[in-house]
Amino acid sequence: MSRQESFQGSLPLLVLKILARRGPLHGYGITVRIEEISEEVLRVEEGSLYPALHRMEEAGWIKAKWVTTQNKRRARVYEITLQGRKHLETEERRWQAVNAAVARVLKYA
Amino acid sequence: MSLISRFLNVFRRDQLGREFDDEIRFHLAERTEEFTGRGMSSEQARQEATRRLGSQIRLRESSRDIKVLPRLASIVQDVVFGLRLLRKNSAVTGAALLSLSLAIGACTAAFSLIDALILRPLPVNDAQRLVYLTFTLQGAGAAEGTAFNYPLFERMRDVSRSQVRLFGMSHQTRREATFDDSAGRTERIYAQWISGDALIILGVKPALGRLLTAADDQTPGQHPVAVLSYDLWSRRFNSDPRVLGRWLILQEKQFQIVGVMEKRFTGAEPGYMTDVWVPNMMWRQEALSSSDWSWFRILGALRPGVSSDQARAVLQTVFTNFRRDRASQFGGTQPRARIEQYINTPLHVRSAANGPSDLRREFERPLWILGLIALLVLLIACSNVASLLIARAAARDREMALRISIGAGRGRLIQQVLVESAILSLASCLLGVWIAKKAAPLIIGALSTSQTIVRLDLHVDWRVFAFLGASGALTTFLFGLAPAFRATAVAPAETLKSGSARQSVRVKVFRPLVAAQTAFSFIVLFIAGLFLTSFAKLIRTDPGFDPNHLSVVDVEAKELKPGDPKSLVAWDQLLDRLREMRGIESASLSGWSVFSGSGQNLHVQIPGRAVEAFEPYFLPVSPAFLKTMGIPLVVGRDFATRDAQAESPTAVIVNEKFARRYFPRESALGKRFFKIHGFSTLVPQEIVGIAGDAKYNSLREPTPPTVYYPIQPDGWASLQIRTMLDPPALAALLRNELPRVHPAFRMIDITLQSTLVENTVVQERLLALLAGFFATVAVILAAVGLYGVLSYSVVQRTREIGIRIALGARPIRVVGLVASEVAAVTCMGLGAGLAGGVFASRFVTALLYEVKPSNFWSVAGPLMLLLLTCVGSCLPPALRATRLDPVTALRYE
Repeated sequence: MSRQESFQGSLPLLVLKILARRGPLHGYGITVRIEEISEEVLRVEEGSLYPALHRMEEAGWIKAKWVTTQNKRRARVYEITLQGRKHLETEERRWQAVNAAVARVLKYA
Repeated sequence: MSLISRFLNVFRRDQLGREFDDEIRFHLAERTEEFTGRGMSSEQARQEATRRLGSQIRLRESSRDIKVLPRLASIVQDVVFGLRLLRKNSAVTGAALLSLSLAIGACTAAFSLIDALILRPLPVNDAQRLVYLTFTLQGAGAAEGTAFNYPLFERMRDVSRSQVRLFGMSHQTRREATFDDSAGRTERIYAQWISGDALIILGVKPALGRLLTAADDQTPGQHPVAVLSYDLWSRRFNSDPRVLGRWLILQEKQFQIVGVMEKRFTGAEPGYMTDVWVPNMMWRQEALSSSDWSWFRILGALRPGVSSDQARAVLQTVFTNFRRDRASQFGGTQPRARIEQYINTPLHVRSAANGPSDLRREFERPLWILGLIALLVLLIACSNVASLLIARAAARDREMALRISIGAGRGRLIQQVLVESAILSLASCLLGVWIAKKAAPLIIGALSTSQTIVRLDLHVDWRVFAFLGASGALTTFLFGLAPAFRATAVAPAETLKSGSARQSVRVKVFRPLVAAQTAFSFIVLFIAGLFLTSFAKLIRTDPGFDPNHLSVVDVEAKELKPGDPKSLVAWDQLLDRLREMRGIESASLSGWSVFSGSGQNLHVQIPGRAVEAFEPYFLPVSPAFLKTMGIPLVVGRDFATRDAQAESPTAVIVNEKFARRYFPRESALGKRFFKIHGFSTLVPQEIVGIAGDAKYNSLREPTPPTVYYPIQPDGWASLQIRTMLDPPALAALLRNELPRVHPAFRMIDITLQSTLVENTVVQERLLALLAGFFATVAVILAAVGLYGVLSYSVVQRTREIGIRIALGARPIRVVGLVASEVAAVTCMGLGAGLAGGVFASRFVTALLYEVKPSNFWSVAGPLMLLLLTCVGSCLPPALRATRLDPVTALRYE
């Protein structure tokens, strides 16, 4: 449970980063991408991905549109907005600062 | 942005739901494909994909909460649901709506009157700094004098310039006016004479043209300019801007119209609206120079930083000095103490933020009392509706239980019941406003008398809105909260298992409501009873004369000069002519009508005794006045025509009260005394007759000692005519006959003496009328409430009652069984009501007439009425219970 929660907090950051790098993706695609990159260490709780996406959408960081995929399925793809990029930038910096601080503590404590 | 989209999303929830489903379906399809690609069977793959996603319903809910305002969405849902339920139970809804909107309407009507008359500040510049001057009146109770004379005003204004900007405003009086286009026809308007700078100090603006200025009020008789009210301008002139420059004639002076007042300012005295403002300098010359002529109010705007106490200190000095100067001109007949009292009369500076108002002084307390009674009725209505809703909610126990068991939160269910209540009270508020809009003018009509028309600006301002909002919210919670908690306090397992929705609601929950309702009803009934008895006693009070079939006619004869023997002859001829006419039994004259509000009080001195501070009443009358009025002549003789011309002593007739007071041990007949004119002139009087006691201006007050003296009529008098003719017929007759006797005679006004008497009991009539109405509503509500609760109880206990009947219970036992449900609480309610009523009655004693709250019948009357009502409303359900067929009852449910 605790693992999930700590991860949960950074889920938006990861989603924004992926969307910024790879361009528009649907929810399933985002799940797969996170798992691939993190070599399945970070397993996305699928149940929490969609609420997170919708929350980000409401916050205006990403926007959604319906597309038809190659295998003729209707998919809802998400795209990062300008506002989302700005948020990503600040969040990334904050994350790295926190990480650096934690690393220092781990090293010298 | 987000809030807006979430708000809008509330109304496209269905689409959102579909989109969500599509998105999830896609996810599952892709996942399933992935898993099958890894070698799972398609069935396995689908199961695994679904498992990973978790509860779709929960997902859907949480996603929806993100996308829409969940609170709002659920409220919208509840409103739709609530409306449907309310429509389904149209009988309950109708009963609730009716009682609530009646009560809210009554409250709002009372409040909008209180607002217009008492609370609302004048629409002027800085109303908080506005003051008016009063002085203590000896022997007038709490009433204070507000009329000042012009010389005193000028002195006060000039001395206090640096503390306060004083200005004078006459009382609004109804006058005959002729406009340039009215072809000689006179119209009645309310005119007000004011200081030239009054409107400027008040800071009001013209809607058209200009207002009066200080320059319009310099030289007596030289400023014939007038400002019209917005109301008169739109009513009489159709808002024609060309009204400027036109003219009107008022008090025989021609005025040019120079401006129109802005719409929101209707005069400085709430209750009376002014139609035309003219400068003080255009009032009679004598009134501007004489210290004996008190005819206007003094108002003022305090200078910034000056307190009303500081202003008072300065003004008191002027006031006292002025009176000392006057007293030095008095002769030696006045008792020393009285002169001291006269000189040292305290002056007061009162706030005029909401306008000085005699109407308010008279009606402030009655209106608050009526407002509170209306509020009690609202509380009764609330408890009534609460009972109705609880009973109905009981039928919904299963629904509630079901919803709780599938996971609805209690807060959510309470919200739903409250939303329903809010719909009810909102609808009631709207209906109530409509009722208030109809009712308030009726109440204002009841404040008016045939002499003074009360006109109040009843526009709905923020205070009325706030009041409505508050009462709406209050009622929602009052009648909504109990049913809400009741309804949601079901134990789902129990309720669903028992298969009976009714098991869980006992009549117990209604008890506090029944008790409260009974208590409030008793208070309303008790207070209303006091007012009704007061009024009944008051109008049944014998005034000492016979006001029936007695018309009073005000007649003007401007050309007849006082003291001229020809005048006397003309008036005599008029009386003679009238007495000859068919249908007229008797006719006489007096200086003014009794019960018209006019009066004359003079000091008297009995030879050999000191002058008392007490002043008896005087009334100038013609021969046959006593006969026409129906006042008995106890001993002595009536006046004769010669009495009016006779030299000293003046022949007078006194009433028995006078005789007893001043000549307690001897016959007053033939005795002499002096009346004191002004402050020093002694006029000898000889008593030639003693009349029965007759009231003078008030039914309420004990008959005052009264002196009738021979009238020497001049340009004005009142006729008393005892006749079976009704006023219109008599008016037609007089209009013909008066000019024939003398061209100078002109009829000003005709009314019935009984109308004049009724005019003096307006306050009591209003209280009796409205309190009686509220009491009726309260009793009906109480009866309906009790009936409803008991009927419900009988239905609920059908099985039990059936068993008892089957076991041989007699009908009387059954009735007792049913009635005992509420008997105890009703009695408790009555007890509480009694205590409350006794407490409340302390605030109304001052308004009562010959009725004491502690009288046996004051208490027993309403008590019995309410008990009877209770028994009456209990009987039908109780009797229904006795007629239950045990077999059917046992099979019930």
